[in-house]
Amino acid sequence: MQLQLEKRLHPSRLMLFIVPIGAVIMTMVLGAIIFTILGFNGLSAVREIFLTPIINPLKWQDLAVKAAPLIIIGVGLSIGYRANVWNIGAEGQYIVGGLAATAIALITYEMSGWWILPLMAIGGIFGGMVWVFIPALLRTKLKVNEILTSLMLTYVAVNLLNYLVFGPWKSPFAFGQPQTILFNEWQTLPYIIEGTIVQAGAPIAIIIALLAWLLMSRSLFGFQIKTVGSAPNAARYGGFSENKTIWLTLLISGGLAGLAGMLEVAGPFGRMVPQFPTGYGFTAIIVAFLGRLHPIGVLFAGIILAISFVGGEVAQTTIALPNAAVGLFQALMLFLLLAGDVLVHYKIKPIRINRVDKGQMGAKKQEEII
Amino acid sequence: MQKSQNIMLELKNISKSFPAVLANDNISFAVKSGEIHALLGENGAGKSTLVKIIYGIMQPDKGEIFWQGKKVHIANPRAARALGIGMVFQHFSLFEAMSVLENIALGMDKKISNRILEKKVQQIMQKYGLLLNPKRIVSTLGVGERQRIEIVRALLVNPKLLIMDEPTSVLTPQEVEQLFLVLRQLANEGCSIIYISHKLQEIKALCDRATILRGGKVVGECNPKKETSKSMAQMMIGTSLKTIKKSKKKKFADIGLKVNNLSLKKQGDFGVSLKNISFTVRHGEILGIAGVAGNGQNELQNVLSGEIVLKDNEAIILNGVAVGKKNATERRKLGLCAVPEERYGHAAIPDFSLNDNSILTARERKNMVRAGMINIKKAQDFTKKIIANFNVMTTGHAASANSLSGGNLQKFIMGREILQAPDILVVSQPTWGVDAGAGSAIRQAIIDLALKGAAIVLISQDLDELLELCDSLAVINEGKLSKPKKVGDMSIEEIGLLMGGIHGAVPKESSSKIKVETDAASA
Repeated sequence: MQLQLEKRLHPSRLMLFIVPIGAVIMTMVLGAIIFTILGFNGLSAVREIFLTPIINPLKWQDLAVKAAPLIIIGVGLSIGYRANVWNIGAEGQYIVGGLAATAIALITYEMSGWWILPLMAIGGIFGGMVWVFIPALLRTKLKVNEILTSLMLTYVAVNLLNYLVFGPWKSPFAFGQPQTILFNEWQTLPYIIEGTIVQAGAPIAIIIALLAWLLMSRSLFGFQIKTVGSAPNAARYGGFSENKTIWLTLLISGGLAGLAGMLEVAGPFGRMVPQFPTGYGFTAIIVAFLGRLHPIGVLFAGIILAISFVGGEVAQTTIALPNAAVGLFQALMLFLLLAGDVLVHYKIKPIRINRVDKGQMGAKKQEEII
Repeated sequence: MQKSQNIMLELKNISKSFPAVLANDNISFAVKSGEIHALLGENGAGKSTLVKIIYGIMQPDKGEIFWQGKKVHIANPRAARALGIGMVFQHFSLFEAMSVLENIALGMDKKISNRILEKKVQQIMQKYGLLLNPKRIVSTLGVGERQRIEIVRALLVNPKLLIMDEPTSVLTPQEVEQLFLVLRQLANEGCSIIYISHKLQEIKALCDRATILRGGKVVGECNPKKETSKSMAQMMIGTSLKTIKKSKKKKFADIGLKVNNLSLKKQGDFGVSLKNISFTVRHGEILGIAGVAGNGQNELQNVLSGEIVLKDNEAIILNGVAVGKKNATERRKLGLCAVPEERYGHAAIPDFSLNDNSILTARERKNMVRAGMINIKKAQDFTKKIIANFNVMTTGHAASANSLSGGNLQKFIMGREILQAPDILVVSQPTWGVDAGAGSAIRQAIIDLALKGAAIVLISQDLDELLELCDSLAVINEGKLSKPKKVGDMSIEEIGLLMGGIHGAVPKESSSKIKVETDAASA
């Protein structure tokens, strides 16, 4: 007995929607089992992580704060992934975006005015773009795989951050703590709902998701991205340049990651610290896939992953679940999602193994079945 | 000819189904020993599935196989070879970097020493006049020679039945001639041959009997020598074929497409470089480009369509405008539309809707884009027009391209380009793998477009098609294009020699002018 994957002629559309939901539910079930085996109360772990943040209105503002950067980065990544351009280094672009915004904040520290925040936002976008410029150049000129280069540049960004906050940018008032000075009121995002911690990041994330939806579904540029991703030869035939698409999608995803970095440093952090890289850039990869690489899907997926973050913090305090549990749940979710996807597009068929001479058959098996 | 009436192979009620298709439906037929038996049918009729069952690559869902009167179960190709069944595939499985002999040795079921193998190979080559140097590296060989390796490999097991799957699709007429000599000699020695093809002329010239398949069923049996190509084609497609109307008197207007000393470096390891190609096509003219597959046709297609952009702007001139440096979209705006050979993933995006596939190439000429946004209504209207005007069988404009059969998708693609009213059309293999009905509709559409004054370049490996449609003809070989000549001025022999790479040397005895009913292999 041997199993073989056979491509389905018509993958069910319904299943495409059910799979993400099923993946979330399966994550809860498997998570409960794993944590029970590990000696925790598995059921309450799942309840604290997935239900408490939804049921408890006090946690909603936390959700908005956590979801915003995930959505902004996730939307950018999903656009690139649709074109088969694999930017894995959004975390690095997020850091450099935050650093660029910080640089502007430090320069304008003595100044005031409404223009400072927009300038920081532009700086953040530019920072993210600069960081993705290198993988884009290497990919289009030398065909270097962008997965590796973008990922490795993340670690360069972390070291750059550490150098700056431990060195030239260290605040003189921080008693030796590695951090910059606290941003002034013109450099910090306004709260949009009185009495909460929700800042401008949340509405910006929603606007970006809606704009991206319009771009992908209605514009020629969205069509170009989908074509390059789905059939590169057809894209060339249709007059779309692959290199141009790589450049644009990488710059968009890098720019949005940079913007998320700016919104974080000018928002919840309020200054640059070594703890700035929180893994949003990596989690956003899960968000992009859970959202089916669709901007609106990413919006919901961002909220789901935010739930797991917020719930993880809850579970840490209430049932002393280790912080690593959240990472475990998130990874489980991505695995289940990808596995579910395979089953939507392929069916498993048992085949009888005939004893055949491999040398002859190897080449012939690759021929189409019919 | 010595022909005993012994049945070599008999199939009874063979059925095989795949997801969504019944490839073989209750097929029964028998092959006598020493008989050359044609399996005739359109693409998708079930020929390939049937021979794969005979060769043990697939197992039938139902039905029995009798070999020399005894019921057998052919579990795999090794079992088939043990019975004495050999097969030569349409696509060869050879290792490019190894020698002929090494390739043959790799395919052997039993290990034999190289010396004995070489002796055997030499014997077979001598006996059947298969000229090959066993020491040559495969990558240096032409397609015809590669096929000979496969034939030698199949003959080494002393087959009693040899299956040939579309063997001539890659051969020049001269190579076809040589192949037929070998096959006839084999048949005279009592070996049965199952010959798969949709080239009716060849079947008439070679085969003793033909079983005709349509939609997975046996629909008839005939003696090809007593039938006409037309009557067999009608059995194959089940309806009568429309004859193509071509106006006799044609006058051509000014030059539409001019190609000047076009050269292109090899793209990637398996590409072919183009060398100093020059030709002109006038409005109303159809220029055919013949050649054996893989001699630069794809490169030429892509260079003309703008998928590969040249450094030399003057190498391609459209209606007086140099466009060598322009991309596909810019060329389309200037009136050049193109249809590449591969339908799935090149001419069309398989998992996109027909609407989206219309947008792919027609967006500029049909004004579907405004301020960067797509006007979906316009795309839908155009798609519906294609479906209606070109009789595309589909569930509608929102159906995905891969839900269409090959022939229907090709009709859609041709319709998409032709309804953009191109001034110049460059098209590759427009009827490759398309059923005869759709094929004749497509050919008629090409002729009608030329009548309206378009300049057309038709790249095809199907000589019959080229002779039927084209006004002038050139042959491409290893990236070099022969000087185009009027179709009536070239003999089949001359075309064949050019396809084989012999330029300029036209043998004197080739005086026979082209007739559409070619007697390619009646000798």
